[in-house]
Amino acid sequence: MAVFMQSLISGILIGGVYALIGIGLTLIFGVMRVINFAHGDILMVGMYLTYIIFTMLGIDPFVSVLITFPLMFLFGGFLQKVFINRVLNALAQNQILLTIGLGLIMSNTVMLIFTSDYKILTTSYSSASIQVGGGVSVSTPLLISFLITAAITAALYWFLLKTDTGQAIRATAQDRDAAQLMGINVKRMSIIAFGLGSALAGTAGALISPTYYIFPQVGGVFTLKAFVITVLGGMGSVVGATLGGILIGITESMSAVYISSGWKDVVVFVLFLLVLLFKPSGLMGKSRT
Amino acid sequence: MNKSILKAVVILLLLSGLLAIPRYVESPYALHMMILLFLSVMMGQSWNILGGYAGQHSVGHAAYFGVGAYTTMMLMHTKQIAPWIGVWAGMALVIVVALAIGSICFRLRGPYFVLASIAVAEILRLSAINLTTLTNGAEGILATELPAFKIGGTIVTDFLTKVPFYYIGLFLVVLTIGITYLVQHSKLGYFFQAIREDQDAAHSLGISISFYKNIALVISAVLTSLAGSFYGIYVGFVDPPTVLGLDVSVQIMLICIIGGMGTLWGPVLGSLVLVPLSEALRSNMITEGLVKIGLVNADSKIGLFLKENLSHAHVLLYGILVVVVILFMPDGLMGFIKQMATRRKQEAV
Repeated sequence: MAVFMQSLISGILIGGVYALIGIGLTLIFGVMRVINFAHGDILMVGMYLTYIIFTMLGIDPFVSVLITFPLMFLFGGFLQKVFINRVLNALAQNQILLTIGLGLIMSNTVMLIFTSDYKILTTSYSSASIQVGGGVSVSTPLLISFLITAAITAALYWFLLKTDTGQAIRATAQDRDAAQLMGINVKRMSIIAFGLGSALAGTAGALISPTYYIFPQVGGVFTLKAFVITVLGGMGSVVGATLGGILIGITESMSAVYISSGWKDVVVFVLFLLVLLFKPSGLMGKSRT
Repeated sequence: MNKSILKAVVILLLLSGLLAIPRYVESPYALHMMILLFLSVMMGQSWNILGGYAGQHSVGHAAYFGVGAYTTMMLMHTKQIAPWIGVWAGMALVIVVALAIGSICFRLRGPYFVLASIAVAEILRLSAINLTTLTNGAEGILATELPAFKIGGTIVTDFLTKVPFYYIGLFLVVLTIGITYLVQHSKLGYFFQAIREDQDAAHSLGISISFYKNIALVISAVLTSLAGSFYGIYVGFVDPPTVLGLDVSVQIMLICIIGGMGTLWGPVLGSLVLVPLSEALRSNMITEGLVKIGLVNADSKIGLFLKENLSHAHVLLYGILVVVVILFMPDGLMGFIKQMATRRKQEAV
């Protein structure tokens, strides 16, 4: 039972970060109908940014989120304005390829600058853990990152539901043309959405940097995970992505314990295919006609 | 009429030139480059049948490439089965895999199809890493010693030089382009293109969509597996990231996108651009070139930095190329050339 509780809790904790990644991707997809294949690479940029800030300025990764978030927002806005904006009406495969290309540029530029060596960001609490009782312990950095994730997600919900800009973003996601007719500046909303999506991915990168290896190719894994999460939750649904992230976190940690850690990603992909086959609209998605 | 005769003559001349190359060129490096070029054309052209003509943009073609490469290499390594027999086993297995994938992925459209194709390839890659008893896991399979190829007791070739590989590669390229030509000019090809242009309209005309999509997939997968087997035998080594990784799928697709999808010569053009460029970066030719022109001092900080790192970053070039091609010539080089040609014609009128 202790093993079960242990893997459930660590699954939920890592799932929080996955949710952040998934929400970013789903926001971008919802507003622009573009699947961002560079999502994991944006996360990787966030990791390196955190690493630089930590080694050069000595700022703790969980504090530097305050710097990373706005910087990544600007980065995402720039990507949208310069590149993505030009292919909004292009064929789906061209959009996909463009983002793949941007991802390749990001990971290889980082590789040119930092080489492909694995970097480790060691903080005083990197391997610390808290005993909860019943033989269950919780990793301190994972717990902190989960709390920050929860706070950011709550703030994001508030932003999307209560503010004018948030409502305009949701309107654009619902129907781009109608939103434009209502006087919403959809181009600006697209920039904000891509910026927010990137900021969330970058923040997720910052939050996992104390517990993960940092290397230029780390993004690929997360891009794939982000797809699984968003499809599971329903493309474009923020609530779905939150649930999907937690669900994937739990699935991963359970299958690592009960099957084997080598096969845990296979379990996730099989689950992904099953969802695609039997409920392609996802858990929270509305069925498309 | 005259035009088609001219075309045939040009192709025959080109082919005889290619056949004659190993007689006059002895440099193994030059032959190696040509073999890489052949391989690239094969990969691009195989993807082209499914992606370019039938419009199903698979980003998981590494699955077929890897299954072909692994089957041939595993049979050769553990059972000492000659690769020219193992290739058939690889192709047979790939047909089974392709039909299984097709039955899952072709129920999905657009972005969902793309995502499913990636997921399947990733499952195969992770399986290759985890099934260590079968595939030797992450270490990969090393099998460089090829048995001599004999017909009726006489040794045709012992595979000690690059020449036999050159001819095999050339044969496979001609085969792949030939098959694509036949597909393009047959009823099958028209069905594929109808599905690409408008799935629902094609369906309402009585074209069985999933049947023809699966046909396109099988042709494409078998040819890709052939390319994979050839790669495995030529390099003598396969491991999960080099034959089953997502990079491989992207690279296969890129050849087509850069050259021009759904055109017979697009993948050839794409390969002619990609292979030399990435080889030039990999072998540090560009840095040396910059030094020679005098743009960069070899011993300066920038020169040393470029020498150290540029060779590792040849994928960066892929990224830049994709972005440029998608933004400025979305129909690839072939589309770009055609556009220029029509513009010139219009100006002449």
